[in-house]
Amino acid sequence: MKNVTESITHWELLEIEKPARYLGGEVNQAKIKTNPTLRVCLVFPDLYELGMSNLALKIFYETLNNHPQIMAERAFSPWPDFEGLLRRKDLPLYSLETGTPLHDFDALLVTLPYEMTFTNVLNLLDLGKVPLQWREREQGPIVIGGGPSASNPLPMAMFMDAILIGDGEEAIIEICESLIKTKNSGADRSSIRKELALIQGMWVPEFAGPVKKRVFKGFANSAPPVKPPVPNVQATHNRAVLEIFRGCMQGCRFCNAGFYYRPKRERPVENLVDYARQLLHNTGEESLGLLSLSTSDYCRLNELITALDQQKLFPEQNISIPSLRMNESTMSLLDSTPQVRKGGLTFAPEAGSQRLRNVINKNITEEDIISVMRSTSGSDYRTVKLYFMMGLPFETDEDVEAIVDLVKKLEAIGRACRPRKQISLSLSGFVPKPFTPFQWAAQADMSELRRKRLIVTRGLERGGSKVSWREEFLCLLESVLSRGDERVGELILKAWQLGCRFDGWHEHFLREKWEQAFAETGIDAAKYLGERQISDTLPWDFVDFQTPRAYFEKEYLLAAAAAREGTNESAS
Amino acid sequence: MNQPAEYKTRINYSKTRQARYIAHLDTIDVICKALRRLQLSYAVTQGCHVRPKISFGPPLPLGHASYCEYFVITLNQEPDVEWLKNALNKEMPQGMEVISIEHPWSDKKSSAGGEWVQYQLYFKSSATAEQAQSYLLNPDSSFEIQRKGQNKRYVLGKAVQKAELSGQGDAWLLTAEFIQGIADVPSVSKIVTALAGHLGASRDDFYLLERTSLKEL
Repeated sequence: MKNVTESITHWELLEIEKPARYLGGEVNQAKIKTNPTLRVCLVFPDLYELGMSNLALKIFYETLNNHPQIMAERAFSPWPDFEGLLRRKDLPLYSLETGTPLHDFDALLVTLPYEMTFTNVLNLLDLGKVPLQWREREQGPIVIGGGPSASNPLPMAMFMDAILIGDGEEAIIEICESLIKTKNSGADRSSIRKELALIQGMWVPEFAGPVKKRVFKGFANSAPPVKPPVPNVQATHNRAVLEIFRGCMQGCRFCNAGFYYRPKRERPVENLVDYARQLLHNTGEESLGLLSLSTSDYCRLNELITALDQQKLFPEQNISIPSLRMNESTMSLLDSTPQVRKGGLTFAPEAGSQRLRNVINKNITEEDIISVMRSTSGSDYRTVKLYFMMGLPFETDEDVEAIVDLVKKLEAIGRACRPRKQISLSLSGFVPKPFTPFQWAAQADMSELRRKRLIVTRGLERGGSKVSWREEFLCLLESVLSRGDERVGELILKAWQLGCRFDGWHEHFLREKWEQAFAETGIDAAKYLGERQISDTLPWDFVDFQTPRAYFEKEYLLAAAAAREGTNESAS
Repeated sequence: MNQPAEYKTRINYSKTRQARYIAHLDTIDVICKALRRLQLSYAVTQGCHVRPKISFGPPLPLGHASYCEYFVITLNQEPDVEWLKNALNKEMPQGMEVISIEHPWSDKKSSAGGEWVQYQLYFKSSATAEQAQSYLLNPDSSFEIQRKGQNKRYVLGKAVQKAELSGQGDAWLLTAEFIQGIADVPSVSKIVTALAGHLGASRDDFYLLERTSLKEL
């Protein structure tokens, strides 16, 4: 089988930005197996630099390549310059390890990390010369999707032979063993899909029915990937990643990830210290990133950080700890740990007023933020980043004005600090995601989001903070793509046909093409954006998310009560 | 206070096949990670953001293969040269290989600046190879490059010192010597890009270029 890269000339590669993205050969790349029983390609629908930072990809790559019968390779979305070259020369998109065209694999395992990559998925299939819709595929690879943005699998249903909902560690082996079995027996595609539907967590559009989210109960005692490929082009997150626990019990009512990754499962300190040593030893990364949704909730965090700090493999080693809930005890822990880099602090208050933070069940107080800000005086921290959402359920203009008030207080403290602190503010429209207590809430429309954004930007015009925001149309689109039914697949297909890809990249997002796609498919966005009644059947109700619907209902009602009374109770 | 002993060591390596498309800064990153994986004891810079004491040779342009790349690292202990060579080779990505290690190494800085470099240029046809040779050997050959919205004209002048053709059939080799890094002398990277443009539709006959020798002037 010819390696596709042999058909690309030296001079053609030189016309491409960062050609090393497309050539593989990294340290820790899997050894090529001769005649594996099953050849799969792990497909990530975004750039190499982002995909190589993705933990799920590392988990599956290591798990599958440790299986004696399976060879797993990788493919990423090509940047438009490389896509243009492939199309001009009529070459198929290929895997990095062996240059094999995507259409020659037994299966493509597609990560669906965020909704704005959906058009990239179609583009990858098309470039790999794989028919886009499962009904059109009579031969070639079985296409299986999975990831947080597939928790409601309907919008991508027409493109996937099967979709995994939930954790993939155990399921991925069951999926591949099922594929080996059906491949050996010469089963037809429908029988292959039928067999896949028997695996817990797998939803197969052809045999659509109820499905239960897969939970990896053995997570706490499982080993993370400790020998991932080391990128030849600097990755977006240029560090070794160690997942210290999965799940989150904070219960923020807007957060899909918080519910998708439930329940909370912690790896023991002793194991983590050993995994960290292996990871750093095998990758040579100078930074170790501790990954979780809310690192402060790790039960033995002080012990873990102290143990990691004492284990120094090389002089420039440092620890990166995102997703910390900032308070004074966290700050003193960080200050007393030399290896922790002190570049910037990040808070996600999400709402400006305590009333609205109670509504969304965000457990951070203004006192926490202010006391941490004060405590940074004299420290090495130079920047403070704040994340806020607008268009939250039960939000009033006073809540939005409270963002301005809070930031002004922080600006005043930052000005008095030495060195001075630079505040940057990131504003985004709220998207009511499935499988959250706010799944029934309405998506705020664009004019409302814009009006509220202007309250903040005008209020902070003279304060010196840097303010950035997410385009309002993107929020609406994300809402349709996450809350949609099967018809939304037609919208995605049309948008891709009109040239949309890399929708998460500002420089590539084509709003007018998406608007054209809505018009040409006759899909009314309002149908997906409006408020729904608790008694309504939701498109994604067939998924048992292992968090009862009654819990979400109760939380939604508690949010309404908090909005009325200023109380903060949670069903969790 | 006792300072630890420092052992300067020069590591010569090649960068060929797909590794020639790894950019210079990424190459530095790849090598630093390889050194960390070996857990060598090396000297580091002072300050809050410590870095290994390491210096690299002149950057290799993207796409150029080379058999004369190097970096100089300051180690804290006397290296076992043979072990270090073998161990580092196990930590290199495909296409990068340690050729030799020179220890002890003392920097021999010259004041003139600039480099003399030898390249081998590979062609599939004699006609294209001859066209390239005559372009390179003509000191009046010139080209323009747009920088910051303005065109700048370069003349080969004394940049090309030699260009000898050998080979037969469909494998033609042009061995060329250049100087670069001196005011108003275009770099090899610019010359080779201009040469590819000059060859036009035949540029794909020119399929490989390798840096085979480098001396700092």
